[in-house]
Amino acid sequence: MAHEYELSIGPIHPALKEPIMIRVKVEGEEIVDVDVIASQNHRGIEWLGMNRNNAIQSIYLAERVCGICNFCHPSCLVMAVEEIADIEVPERAQYIRVIQGELERIHSHLLWAGVAAHELGFDTLLHYVWMVREKVMDVLELVNGNRVTKSIIMYGGVRRDIKEEHVEHIRKMLDYYRNAFSKLAKFFLEDKTMEKRTREIGILTERDAIELAAVGPTARASGIKKDVRQDFPYFAYPDFDIHAITPDELTGYTVGDVYDRIVVRLLEVKQSIDIIEEALNEMPSGEIIAEKKLVKLMAKIKASEGEAVARYEAPRGEDIHYVKLKKGFEPLYSWKVRAPTYINILSWRPMLVGYQIADIPIIAASIDPCMSCTNRIAVVKDGKERIFTSDYFHELSVKKTRRLMK
Amino acid sequence: MMFPMFKQLIVQMFRKPFTNPFPAKYAPKSMKKFMEDVEKGKAKINPPVEIPDEETFRGRILYDRDKCIGCQLCIKVCPSKAIEFKKEEKKIRIYIGRCIFCSQCNDICPTNALSMGNEFLLASDSKVNDELVVE
Amino acid sequence: MNGEFILKLVLECILLPFFAIFFGLLLKGIDRKLVARMQARVGPPIRQPFLDVIKLFSKENIVPEHAVKWIYNAMPLVCLASSIMVLFYIPLGFPPLLAGHGDLVLVLYILIIPSLAMIAGGFASSSPFATVGAQREMVTMISYELPLSIVIMSIAFYLPGSNSFSLDFISSHPLWNSVGVLGFAGLILLLMSLIIVTPGELAKVPFDVAEAETEIAEGVMVEYSGRNLALFYMADGVKIFAFASLIVAIFFPYSISPLLNLTGLYADIANFLFFILKVVIVMIFSVSIIRAAVARYRITSVVTGYWVTVAMMALIGLLLLMWDMHYHVRWS
Repeated sequence: MAHEYELSIGPIHPALKEPIMIRVKVEGEEIVDVDVIASQNHRGIEWLGMNRNNAIQSIYLAERVCGICNFCHPSCLVMAVEEIADIEVPERAQYIRVIQGELERIHSHLLWAGVAAHELGFDTLLHYVWMVREKVMDVLELVNGNRVTKSIIMYGGVRRDIKEEHVEHIRKMLDYYRNAFSKLAKFFLEDKTMEKRTREIGILTERDAIELAAVGPTARASGIKKDVRQDFPYFAYPDFDIHAITPDELTGYTVGDVYDRIVVRLLEVKQSIDIIEEALNEMPSGEIIAEKKLVKLMAKIKASEGEAVARYEAPRGEDIHYVKLKKGFEPLYSWKVRAPTYINILSWRPMLVGYQIADIPIIAASIDPCMSCTNRIAVVKDGKERIFTSDYFHELSVKKTRRLMK
Repeated sequence: MMFPMFKQLIVQMFRKPFTNPFPAKYAPKSMKKFMEDVEKGKAKINPPVEIPDEETFRGRILYDRDKCIGCQLCIKVCPSKAIEFKKEEKKIRIYIGRCIFCSQCNDICPTNALSMGNEFLLASDSKVNDELVVE
Repeated sequence: MNGEFILKLVLECILLPFFAIFFGLLLKGIDRKLVARMQARVGPPIRQPFLDVIKLFSKENIVPEHAVKWIYNAMPLVCLASSIMVLFYIPLGFPPLLAGHGDLVLVLYILIIPSLAMIAGGFASSSPFATVGAQREMVTMISYELPLSIVIMSIAFYLPGSNSFSLDFISSHPLWNSVGVLGFAGLILLLMSLIIVTPGELAKVPFDVAEAETEIAEGVMVEYSGRNLALFYMADGVKIFAFASLIVAIFFPYSISPLLNLTGLYADIANFLFFILKVVIVMIFSVSIIRAAVARYRITSVVTGYWVTVAMMALIGLLLLMWDMHYHVRWS
């Protein structure tokens, strides 16, 4: 009988740059068992968000839940607050939000594609993809004033309009990506080594995906037609004809492996290009924010009461924010973030078992994990180590719910 | 083709590198000495990528002291608590070391005393030197 | 054997290792710069590997608590020494220093030692990553040995005479001159197999499974640091030099002195410089371009790739050479 031993990938490992730990039991090269130990790092960002001076400050904190999804999280929070405070968002602002969201999807998916290539030891492709990605980063800098953090969303609209002279640049970028798409597809899908490393690797069956409630490209690559933009459209998305992308559109069949996840993300970049194009053509003129006077806006949020859940299709999957506001209470009374990675991590187990050690990095990367969105349990070292069990947390959350209900 | 990257490799090999070699092609031995040399005119710095739109760009904050009325609204909205109120003068002091360049204070300022500049090379060895404190 | 000869030999034996290390690091620098340019990057300066080695020597040498200390510390030295040793048997533009004392078969054996040293060092460092890496290195070694030995055997088989395994003999009888049409095709196949074997032997992408950075965190090297890592690093450079020289000696042994009408010392110098140029070109084609153009294979694909595809290629090459000897189809 082969000797079994345990390898821990992470919390510090060159393949996963973020703090998460995968304990794998291996028999030779084959993986026989997987355990994921999340939350190696706790930032307490929700608690911070509830302890600001006012709700506006929380937007910028939400922006920093994750550096890549710096539009998804604040817009999800903003949508929830808008629902509670009953703020009507002008139509032009909704279109600008759609454009910003899709720009972010392009840059996030391209970033992921580069990382995936690096996990396979294909550094030339990493550098090529990130070179291509610079184009959208340049446009983001042009439109928003900064490459990464956009700081554009505000309760009731957006903070900056897309200028007429910028539209031309965006259109040029779209043409550039249309041309680059065929090349990217060739490098990722036709290269023999890439195919060998991704085809039939890390298969997540449709049944597993449904049972583990996978979201975003991870679920869609397994053949589940699930996309918040299609099922529960927000912003200006009802005006667009959006459908959930599954890999069989390009390849003709669905396997649910890493290759399919690459296909889905590539096709989504193409979809985003079309959405931005359409949004630019049909963008109505008008106001970009419902309430220009921020002092008035803050007063309005202070005066409203209620709770709401907002859903947003982030590049990585469905993002959910729960917000509760209380009358006379300026900051958010309660704020809960459920980032897409938190759900998708569960699908690592069926994906990994039965494959080889060599496949761990690409399979782990194939869900586009973002650990910074995922911190949950704190292990407090107080002279001695204390580990909070799930029962303890359940008890705590019951208490908190009771307190909120009062 | 089995390995489509080959063609791209050969093309890229004879092309200028895509990277902008800022501040120098190879990292200097001592950054501080290099910057001193640049100031003296002994060494040349490779310019960073140009700012695409000076109007929308969010760089180091600019503060118009005379316009400021000391309403403290900027202090209320600043997400990173980078702004301090000077009680006796009724003016503000901004610590760029804490600033996250969101320009929220610009939006809320009733007299437009604050605006975003274009300077972004703000690395320094001290958080509170003259360049990083605006007042 | 007179005194002057022994003095020359001793002097050369002292000089060669220094040159090998210097040139090996230089090759690494050229490789890194070229790959960077292929990836549209600026890349490090060519002298970067030298700076790396200097830095590594100034760092603390950490030995893991549960490591087998003497093996752990000895293996880097063994690796470097054996890599240099190969060079004593390979003609470097001039006849090998130890000509007549060893042939191709010995070179094949010595080429295994650096890999074995890495395996032993990996196992001795008691890290699970290093263990996986060492196992992978072993499997890779077993895989590429088959096509490598087929290539060597074919060459020796083709050449006439009793000392056909001697590298000096091979390099003074360029193969391309004596083969016919079939043999030419066969030689091309053999050369291609040898070029594909090179990244495996040198642990470079796509066959760097034993040191896969993103998978097992540099594998066998994971625990090494400071002086020991510097030795492995230099050995890697020397290995590139040695293996590229082997390819040059077997397939491109031409010298430039007759073309330039040089004799004596000048001829030796010209030949040596020409040889260096050939080594660099061989390295670019067998290491740099392959390294930049593909993704890393899984260990299972490495085995099937070497045993089935590459070994088949080499065998066909051998077959063509045999036919060539039999039928003698000439170019005319």
